[in-house]
Amino acid sequence: MSVGTASYLARRAAQKERVRILYRRALKDTLNWAVHRHLFYSDADALREKFEANKQVADVDVIDRMIDAGETTYNKWRHPDPYIVPWAPGGTKFCRNPTPPPGIEIIYNFGREDND
Amino acid sequence: MHKLRTTILGYSRIKVPARTSSIGNDLNGTYKRTQLLRTCSTAASTDADQVMDRVIKLVKKFDKIDAAKVTEKADFQKDLSLDSLDRVELVMAFEEEFSVEISDAEADKLKCCVDVAKYVVSCSTEKVPEASS
Repeated sequence: MSVGTASYLARRAAQKERVRILYRRALKDTLNWAVHRHLFYSDADALREKFEANKQVADVDVIDRMIDAGETTYNKWRHPDPYIVPWAPGGTKFCRNPTPPPGIEIIYNFGREDND
Repeated sequence: MHKLRTTILGYSRIKVPARTSSIGNDLNGTYKRTQLLRTCSTAASTDADQVMDRVIKLVKKFDKIDAAKVTEKADFQKDLSLDSLDRVELVMAFEEEFSVEISDAEADKLKCCVDVAKYVVSCSTEKVPEASS
């Protein structure tokens, strides 16, 4: 019985994790699709309602199937050109003006020597 | 000095005086001023106290949170009674405020305001080298 309970709890934890990541990605994708901020708010509310509607489902297999369906929907509607934070990998400012490695020093005397 | 300057610039919009200097005279100063301007225009502040302030202000504005309960150490889930989806929304708000990318695994670890501030500071110190002024 305890093994069954443990495996049930582990499965529930895995499902919670999947739902969290799915919601996170879907919410970000909603922001990618919305061209204006005021459009995003209603879309985000609709997304949240879709998740809230199945909050009370208790059957583990049903939940698994629902998550699968949600993930397929997300993959189908994924944005082809998502927003990337400029400094993150793939962003427009990624690796621009990097810090020089320690030990390298630039002297800004522009050709003038110390002794002239 | 850097903290004082950023504090003042955070509250008021001052035109940074462009000192007219002859190029031959002080190119080193020109370089430093450019770096100063660059530091002023970066999105994320590197100062830990200011980041903490901004985090707390943002958490207080979140509509599902009772603003009176917000403290530095208050756990989002236990003390502020957010569920996991609310926390996802909050983390997204942090990402937009500080323009940082928070990975899915990291997002789960951010449990209170202190964690968020630490994470943001660690991101921004990697990103923006502290300008000598």
